[in-house]
Amino acid sequence: MRLEKCWFCSSTIYPGHGIQFVRNDAKIFRFCRSKCHKNFKMKRNPRKVKWTKAYRRLHGKDMTQDSTFEFERKRNRPERYDRNIAENTLKAIKKIDKVRVDREAKHHALRMKGKKAKEQREAAKELEQSIHMVKAPTALQQEPSFTLPKVKVQVSNPQENRLMEE
Amino acid sequence: MSFASEWTAVGRSLLGSLGNNSSGLLRTTSHDIMTKLACGNFYSQQRTFIQMRTNLKVVDNSGAKRVMCIQALKGKKGARLGDTIIASVKEAQPRGKVKKGEVVYGVVVRAAMQRGRCDGSEIKFDDNAVVLVNKQGEPIGTRVFGPVPHELRKKKHVKILTLAEHIA
Repeated sequence: MRLEKCWFCSSTIYPGHGIQFVRNDAKIFRFCRSKCHKNFKMKRNPRKVKWTKAYRRLHGKDMTQDSTFEFERKRNRPERYDRNIAENTLKAIKKIDKVRVDREAKHHALRMKGKKAKEQREAAKELEQSIHMVKAPTALQQEPSFTLPKVKVQVSNPQENRLMEE
Repeated sequence: MSFASEWTAVGRSLLGSLGNNSSGLLRTTSHDIMTKLACGNFYSQQRTFIQMRTNLKVVDNSGAKRVMCIQALKGKKGARLGDTIIASVKEAQPRGKVKKGEVVYGVVVRAAMQRGRCDGSEIKFDDNAVVLVNKQGEPIGTRVFGPVPHELRKKKHVKILTLAEHIA
């Protein structure tokens, strides 16, 4: 059993899924689902289709170079079965996955880093410019702050409690 | 889209009525013509079996170029990947082992219709291709071009597999 990668979106193809297309020049294209297959038939370039891994790697949205990727490279030589090695490999897979996910999260955080400050500045500017949408200008003259005036509202409680008790 | 579905419904009903005729020679083609016409422009093509009147490419050096299926041995609806067919040679190279108009046996090595594998995946090729064999199942030619599928091993066409340049 071998887990392949989809030619179009680079997701893993588990056994029992997908279609293999063999072109006459003996190049094999594997697709994980009909979405990828249909896009291929439309002759779309995966490097230009936004949701594929190829696009994301090309445009720096996802990590490209990392040592965790070395573990997943395709090996063609079958290894003799050894129970200990198999056990260790399974443990290692879990650990490597965790490490890879952490690193990807860090990469994503780094990518989104300057955003909060920018959002704050934009919000402050908008508040300055469009405060007339929210608070009337006359009220602004009386109370020159960006907060809305507090209004006290009477709420009748006793009757509601009796209804709930039932 | 509804237009396309109407067409396929018409095609299917036609075939149903024609299915009763055992002597259908030219009529069986109307089904695949219908499906191709209906689905060609609107959706992706619907690939079907290799049946009577199907043109196939010959991918060995036996001398024939194109061959037309006249009978699919085994299979009510038609032949698939790995099956044998009886075919008539329509186009041949001038000096070859087979001549135009001969009736030959062939093994389908590439089919545009997808075939399920035992692990659950499906495989399909770009075109319909055939390798000419004799009645015992041994290939007439000495070379095979293009990729061939694993399925031939189960069907005991080991000779074709040894001649192949790439096994898909």
